[in-house]
Amino acid sequence: MSTVATARSELRDLYARESARIQQEFSATGEGSIALARRTAVVESILRRLWSEFISADPEGPGNFALVATGGFGRGWLFPHSDIDLLFLHGGSGTESGFKDSIRRFSQELWDLRLKLSPAARTLAECERFDPNNVEFAISLLDCRYLAGDRELFLRLRETVVPRLVMRECQNLIQNLGEITRGRHHKFGDTVFHLEPNVKDGPGGLRDYNVAHWLALISAMEKLRVWPDPKALLPASSRRPLEAALNFQMSVRCFLHFRHGRHDNTLTWEAQDEAAVRRIGAADAEIANAADWMRVYFGHARAVHRVCAQLLEEIPAAWSSLYRQFQSWRSRVSSPDFSVVDGLIFLQQPSALQDPEMLLRLFHFMAQHGLKLSTTTEYKIEQVLPALAATPPRGAELWLYLQETLIEPHAADALRAMNALRLLPLLLPELKGIEALVVRDFYHRFTVDEHSFLAIEHLHRLKESKSEWEQRFAELQGELEQPELLYLALLLHDSGKAVPSENHVGLSLKLTDRSADRLDLDPADRETLRFLVGNHLEMSVAMRRDVFDPANVRSFAEKAGTPERLKMLCLLTYADVKAVNPEALTPWKADNLWQLYIASDNYLSRSADERVHTDDNSAVAVAVLAHLHSLAPVAGKKINHFLEGLPQRYLRIHGASDVLVHAEMAAQLGNNSVQLGLKQVRQWYELTLITMDRPFLFASVSGALAAWGMNIVKANAFSNRAGIVVDTFYFTDRFRTLELNIPEWERLKQGIAAAVSGKADIARMLQERLRSEKTNGTKVKVATQIEFDDACSAHSTLLQVLTQDRPGLLYRMCSQVSKHGCNIEIALIETEGQMAIDVLYLTSGGTKLSSDRQAALTKALHEDLDL
Amino acid sequence: MTKVEAIIQVSKLDAVKDALHEIGVEGMTVFEARGHGRQKGHTEFYRGREYTVDLIPKVKLEMVLADDMVEKVVQAIVASARTGKIGDGKIFLSRIDEAIRIRNEERGDTAL
Repeated sequence: MSTVATARSELRDLYARESARIQQEFSATGEGSIALARRTAVVESILRRLWSEFISADPEGPGNFALVATGGFGRGWLFPHSDIDLLFLHGGSGTESGFKDSIRRFSQELWDLRLKLSPAARTLAECERFDPNNVEFAISLLDCRYLAGDRELFLRLRETVVPRLVMRECQNLIQNLGEITRGRHHKFGDTVFHLEPNVKDGPGGLRDYNVAHWLALISAMEKLRVWPDPKALLPASSRRPLEAALNFQMSVRCFLHFRHGRHDNTLTWEAQDEAAVRRIGAADAEIANAADWMRVYFGHARAVHRVCAQLLEEIPAAWSSLYRQFQSWRSRVSSPDFSVVDGLIFLQQPSALQDPEMLLRLFHFMAQHGLKLSTTTEYKIEQVLPALAATPPRGAELWLYLQETLIEPHAADALRAMNALRLLPLLLPELKGIEALVVRDFYHRFTVDEHSFLAIEHLHRLKESKSEWEQRFAELQGELEQPELLYLALLLHDSGKAVPSENHVGLSLKLTDRSADRLDLDPADRETLRFLVGNHLEMSVAMRRDVFDPANVRSFAEKAGTPERLKMLCLLTYADVKAVNPEALTPWKADNLWQLYIASDNYLSRSADERVHTDDNSAVAVAVLAHLHSLAPVAGKKINHFLEGLPQRYLRIHGASDVLVHAEMAAQLGNNSVQLGLKQVRQWYELTLITMDRPFLFASVSGALAAWGMNIVKANAFSNRAGIVVDTFYFTDRFRTLELNIPEWERLKQGIAAAVSGKADIARMLQERLRSEKTNGTKVKVATQIEFDDACSAHSTLLQVLTQDRPGLLYRMCSQVSKHGCNIEIALIETEGQMAIDVLYLTSGGTKLSSDRQAALTKALHEDLDL
Repeated sequence: MTKVEAIIQVSKLDAVKDALHEIGVEGMTVFEARGHGRQKGHTEFYRGREYTVDLIPKVKLEMVLADDMVEKVVQAIVASARTGKIGDGKIFLSRIDEAIRIRNEERGDTAL
């Protein structure tokens, strides 16, 4: 065997022996940083031997040529299957041709040893040139380290060239690094919380640690004009958690390389199981299973991601005028409680944080403006949490702030920050079990808590969507009466996944009940919340069936019950599916969801007149009657009498407490033939009228309200077998008459009573009102559409009118209906923006409308309503 | 070897999958699809706007089988996907020359 062959064989043996030893040591200790240092040293010794063989016998020769470690190798972090970043540095172009062949043989030897080389050859002048297409090379020089050759040349690179490059190109470097990092984060869905994360490139991975380090280094070097102290680079408050995170992640990546036998950084489920058993990087933590170990992983990743994101926000280029303008615009949102500097929130008075209300206001501020918390603010929050834990805020006060936060555009980011600081589980302990929880299935890509935040984020982002099919859902979102309940439902819908089971919905409901108690939700809101959480999978189930099958549509729509709940369930399903993974909501699925929604909504409008019979066995009647009787056992007969013949839709719209009140009002008709109730509910007023049916009744009340300047946004009218009507009008008070004059409440009721008894001249009153009002130009013109449907009801003809909303509209429309001899059996009145959507179930002489009557009514309505 | 492509109703996917598992078919590829044959589209009105679906949502299953399995699979799909109404779907069979398992380069029936 030749001397050269022997030397090769020796090197191969040395490398194999040392690699095996490092792996063995790692298996025993799990210490990643030690393994990296050892492997770096082994490779360095091989490189020096090859250098002396192929380039120069003198380790510090030849002149004007040097071997430099860059990138990860330069940092001394050589993972078992990482590339070896090398720079062949020339003093000038003269040495390049002279050593070309030697470099080729040097590299060949390394490849023969199965070392993956990533080489670059540059002159000193080339190193100083900034190439926007190869920013990575300039960044790799920040970790340059001398290996062999001309030491003076290397020192010129490190002490002169690199600082000059950084000072000159500081802005470009930071901007490019920011763009590359944001692009990488985006590729991973901008979240740390993947079920199978990539420990190198994923957000919060080792690459983010490096980015934070580079950003700090570039920024400091630009200011100091020399290499700064590497130990003082990162923010002092973050150093310890970052150090711990780095050690942990080094061990994990090392473990993955050894386990997979290649450069694969994906923390698969199988790898998680093994890492948990071997307690990789977490020898001191309490770990019972893979989920526990992953929580440790996410804790470290979150710390790294937080610092990286902060520096990306703080450092980018204080030099960019556009950026400065943007930041200055953001600073204007500062308030007496919070100041905003460079997109970060600081506390004006840190001691004020002792007050829990201030803490809640802080996160509302964050959700409102899309800002991040400064490190000092986070530190202050962490300090006050132990005291807060003793008496956490709860009840209506907590719900008030929480709901205001949930409806703000950046709610998801605020919730993430609350979760990261352990504030969210303190306020809603029901969410503790899903914190950073990995539940393995083939569809979900994120942890359970992140999935919930992402669902909330997707719903908020709908407003910005440009795609046609997303705009349909955005339109629905804009119509929600109580969006806060939908967001709260999204937050809680998967809380039951904390305990492994076949079906998590049951536990989610229990936890939802606990949260509702904690937030002191009123009974109607609690019911809506329970409905959403309890049925959050129902629309997906119905989508797996034929979305055009009337039986499927009927069954699903009846579960939803009311158009408002249907709307909420549709949006919840949209957000829930979309948050599973970036590809989960395909246009195919979104279209099916939409088709099911509109078919169900139409079903609800067209099946409103199915009547309640107290002696039938329909599920709705049985359940509702049982509930009502349990609430008011002595009023059993009275309730049965009142409900007999009312449409089932009435029971879906009105809760048990409303029904009991209505039944009582109906029982009082003998004393007073017009029973009225008026109350303020959320953003509008609710007027309930119970009286005996008569022609022009609905039109008269609509007209009276319009004459008072009220804007009717919704109304329902139902009647029972005894001819008692239950009409409910929801209106806004355009001129704040009721808000500013308490006596006007009674006067309004008297006016309505007069209208019902036919004692008021509604037409004249309305004319006077309209004359005194200036007509505002409408932004959107809605053409009147009139449609009759004879098929959807056994007894009535359905009339649907879509038209431009305007004062007095309902009165005009219902007056025409009454003038044409039609009786309004049911009225379902809605307003969406500028469009009035009115559905009336009509009869004439107790039967459906003849085609002649339909034609005449259509003509009259067009003449009256067309713009 | 034969490639079986079956276009079926979305609502029948679970039943077909179960039927195939029962006769020992483990692997298949499922695609979201749209289309129509004799079954025509569907129109729904919502707030005065017309939403017409010309192409009905369907699911397409694809699998390559050893020839002795083909008839059993066809029967299983037919039995589990049939409602007897227009729109039940179609099955297409085509010859396959070769199958190669990427992991170990096995070929022929053993690669299936």
